[in-house]
Amino acid sequence: MLRDGAPTEREAPRAHVIEALDAFQAAERAGGDAMARWIAVCRQPRLRGGLRVIRARDLQHAALAEARLRALGGAPAARISRELAGLCGVIGHPEISDRSKLAMLLGRFPAQAPSPLADLARRLGGDAETQALLETINDDEVVALEWLREMSRVLEREDG
Amino acid sequence: MTDDVVRFLDDFRAAESASVEVLRAWIDVCQLDGLRGGLRTIAGREAAHAVLAAERLAELGAPATASVPEEVRAAAVARFGSPSVPDEEKIALVLARYPDDASSTREIAALAARLADDPETRELLRLIAEGEAATVAWLRAYHAGLSRRGGAGRPPATPDRGA
Repeated sequence: MLRDGAPTEREAPRAHVIEALDAFQAAERAGGDAMARWIAVCRQPRLRGGLRVIRARDLQHAALAEARLRALGGAPAARISRELAGLCGVIGHPEISDRSKLAMLLGRFPAQAPSPLADLARRLGGDAETQALLETINDDEVVALEWLREMSRVLEREDG
Repeated sequence: MTDDVVRFLDDFRAAESASVEVLRAWIDVCQLDGLRGGLRTIAGREAAHAVLAAERLAELGAPATASVPEEVRAAAVARFGSPSVPDEEKIALVLARYPDDASSTREIAALAARLADDPETRELLRLIAEGEAATVAWLRAYHAGLSRRGGAGRPPATPDRGA
């Protein structure tokens, strides 16, 4: 869920890492807050159960990324992109169906697309701690997306 | 069924809370940068699981009463927080509890499968189980990477996923 316009590999490694962590913590915090609004209006108990886990992990990821960027000498300052803010608005909207929200969210993460987080982690050869942190956070993201895809298929099948 | 769920959530909440303490003690003395990074995420996962279990327990109208015996908790914190116990040995201790990939999630998955009448708790537990599986898989792969290097050379930053 990293924002668009990621820094290039030519930039200083530490500045690159701090900027990426800052963008990531802002996105995860916004995502967690949007999930909380979705949970509050979600009509499907089974969907609500999984969304709770995803929200809790998003907020943990934000805290982990912020702690790491502070340890590297940075301070959180990033704001989420307009596109992500729009998606968060849809996710938390009480009048939009759960199926539509799932479709919009999953549309941002095509099944075969490479993960920006895993890609960033691979390029952090000189910072093993941040690399492993991002790899394991990405494991959570993969699990969440697989579960959301499964829920989307289930709801689609049931609604015909 | 509700009694089973309540007992499980309460025991699980207590165990996950204790795990967070143990993991934080380990992180404080961990010598391997890559391992420390992974342990931070794992501790975050465990903390989230404890909160989720406590919230669900409260919604089901059940009090949180379970706790890990003090001597067990203290011994684990002392061992994993000891700078003289090698990180490789600590990983092996954790993995000894989970001889295969399914063993970390067997109990949660079995309970979730019986929760047809409570889909909210079922899906909550299914995703928590996936998190537990990810933790064990990452530690197993990291440990395999360390073993292959025989303790020599640069430790792996992240596990070899093909391990």
